[in-house]
Amino acid sequence: MEFKSEKLENGLDIIGEINKSAKSTAVGFFVKTGSRDETEQINGVSHFLEHMLFKGTEKLSALEVNEAFDRTGAQFNAFTSEENTVYYAAVLPEYLAEVTELWTQLMRPALRDEDFNLEKNVIKEEIAMYKDLPSFDVMERCRTLHFDGHPCGNSVLGSEESIDNLSAEQMREYFARRYAPNNIVLACAGNFDWDRIRSLAANSCSAWQQQTVERKLDHSEGSRKKQRQEKANLAREHICLMSAGVPAQDPRRFAASLLGMIVGDDVGSRFFWELVDKALAEAASMQFGAMDGTGAFCSYIRCGSDNVTKVLDIVRGIFDDLTRSGVTEDELTKAKNKILSALVIKNELPMGRLVDLGFNWTYLQKYQTIEDDVNAIKAVTVDDVHFLIEQFRPGDFTQLSLGPLRNS
Amino acid sequence: MAEDFDIQVLKNGMVLLGEPMEAVESVAFGFMMPAGAARLPDGCCGAGSVIADWIFRGAGDKDSRQLSDAIDGLGLVRGRSVGSSHIAVGAALEAGNLAEALDLYADIILKPSLDDDQFELARQLAIHEVLSLDDDPRHKVMLKLREQFYPSPLGRSTVGDIAELKALTAQLSGQIIKDKFNLSQTIFSVAGKYDFDAVCQQIERLFESESKEGGESVTLGPRQGKYTHIDNDGAQVHIALMTETVKPTDEDYYNSRVAISVLSGGMSARLFTEVREKRGLCYAIGARYHGLKEAAGIMCYAGTTPDKAQETLDCVIDEFNRLGEGISREEIDRAKVGLKSSLILQSESSSSRAGAIGSDHYILGRVRSLDEIKDRIEATSVDSVLAFLRNNPFSDFTVVTIGPKQVNIQ
Repeated sequence: MEFKSEKLENGLDIIGEINKSAKSTAVGFFVKTGSRDETEQINGVSHFLEHMLFKGTEKLSALEVNEAFDRTGAQFNAFTSEENTVYYAAVLPEYLAEVTELWTQLMRPALRDEDFNLEKNVIKEEIAMYKDLPSFDVMERCRTLHFDGHPCGNSVLGSEESIDNLSAEQMREYFARRYAPNNIVLACAGNFDWDRIRSLAANSCSAWQQQTVERKLDHSEGSRKKQRQEKANLAREHICLMSAGVPAQDPRRFAASLLGMIVGDDVGSRFFWELVDKALAEAASMQFGAMDGTGAFCSYIRCGSDNVTKVLDIVRGIFDDLTRSGVTEDELTKAKNKILSALVIKNELPMGRLVDLGFNWTYLQKYQTIEDDVNAIKAVTVDDVHFLIEQFRPGDFTQLSLGPLRNS
Repeated sequence: MAEDFDIQVLKNGMVLLGEPMEAVESVAFGFMMPAGAARLPDGCCGAGSVIADWIFRGAGDKDSRQLSDAIDGLGLVRGRSVGSSHIAVGAALEAGNLAEALDLYADIILKPSLDDDQFELARQLAIHEVLSLDDDPRHKVMLKLREQFYPSPLGRSTVGDIAELKALTAQLSGQIIKDKFNLSQTIFSVAGKYDFDAVCQQIERLFESESKEGGESVTLGPRQGKYTHIDNDGAQVHIALMTETVKPTDEDYYNSRVAISVLSGGMSARLFTEVREKRGLCYAIGARYHGLKEAAGIMCYAGTTPDKAQETLDCVIDEFNRLGEGISREEIDRAKVGLKSSLILQSESSSSRAGAIGSDHYILGRVRSLDEIKDRIEATSVDSVLAFLRNNPFSDFTVVTIGPKQVNIQ
């Protein structure tokens, strides 16, 4: 593995990790923008904009863009979160330059009114689709309740209303502010020729104008509010719990991920043995998510209405016990083994490696080898985990339950 | 690209397959036991889910907890699935732990504890999973579609049926394990970094047994209804449809795959372009090949708000019907490069390869090399795909909808 990086004069970071034994390459533009960078008036614009990039440039229509990608056989797509918008493609090495060139063009999109108006329908269908997925819906509602006014609680998709009210002009203005080269990382992982990609990017992207880009980075402790909301067509109770954690820049993020795994991995965790193994809940998981300047533990539990009280009592018991007695050496070792093998297996694929590479640079402006991450995970001690529990009190959570109407 | 596959057949008939991969430090393995949903006795729908859980609740000299701790101690990324034909269990892991992992899995498959108390918990969980499907209409509609499309029992739900799960007993489930975990029909596959001789010796030591009759063929019943609607007061109508196509063993298999790719391979394919890009009817729209050994179909999903449901369905069916009328050279080229590229991208993952070689062996009786697949895709043309579509027109569609509104089927 060889790492290369260069910063263009306008601030665009180009980074690459070369692995000559890979059969493919992955390339991605990591734009540091998401729903937390939106105001209420334009909520949903980051995600909508992600769709609009595929609608083409002054020179390319949407169909021509899709055809150009498909001619290379690339597996390409994009995703938007609270704080990142990522455009990526996994491709055979011989097509990498063509695909990278295409992405560089798309990063300066036409944002035509007629495309914007038609795509509104697709965005509203996506909102409707997630409404029919209560496991997703409950997390989104809980995030809003937890962050309680902090921008990390903004919905990524926006609401039907905010999308209806959004104008193409507002989107163009947002684009001009946020898609500045100094707010973007271009990353490559896998089998590729660095000099070719570097010069291609320099040629295509050097004219992009630098901007002053800001983001509010307040930490959030979370509201710790508890709410139940109802939907008549639901069959099960969907419960989401959130509590504060460390930011993506904090070295304690590894300990936080391990804590998440000890409490709530799909199998072999405390949630698993107390809830799933005993058939009280069919799903119970907890994960740590690190963000820019803040972080959160998020749990999802699904069970029948008749088990809700029992399940919540047990959850409280698990967190009380965690506060009182902490975690064991044995639990920590198992969690490390699980995280380490998942990390190694994921990073064997250029596409898996790209995500870690791009996000590490986005948050840390630093190259982390897989070994760096492996060593950081191995170095976490029981005391590190205990310190986190003491400081962040994961049992003191925000709770949102989404379930069927209760018989009155 | 020269590829070597490893293969050995134990005296009892169990097949061991391997594909070495130079660029990885991981290894993935899987056991396919012929105990999938379609092979279960009638009245036991869901027993596969219960069994796939139950066998992990203690095995050999370990109780449920000790077994789980041992698996986690080796850092196994576990995989487990119930399909139409098989229950598959396996894992991906760091290559150095393979031997210990195989010892554990031999106990899980050959010496599960099968305690009654643990059965009851596994059964309860399986019932909850079925109830949960009501809150996941997109998943539910696809399960229902398979059930309606495939001749019974091929499409039997792999998740389960509430009434049949309620009636299921530990004794019956134990008997199913005894009958269906037939090593003579079991396929073991491994891909990544491993020593095949060592693996074979270990598997032989652990799994060698008397060979056993079995592998009785499934008797097929009729297809179910043409249109099924399940009422749900949700935000969207979830539309699933399926139509027959050739099986993986058919000489037209690659023509079919290329045709489906023209319809729904990439974002420039017909369905995405016509339904989403031009009309804005859907966010999620796509079709894919779904093949069993005995039958195959093209499976399509579209989710849309109620007022657009009819237009969406009509538009999708139009696109199926229009396919045979003409396909451009560029469309075929994009379809072919897309299929070939996704094949190579998947070949970098040890888990994908272990799954693919096992499934090839079951369906085709042999493992295809990547070169063979690439050559067969390459050999298709506008003419061959159109000839295939002429000879195999899409005549019947099985349709299932879940949502607040029904659609009209022509």
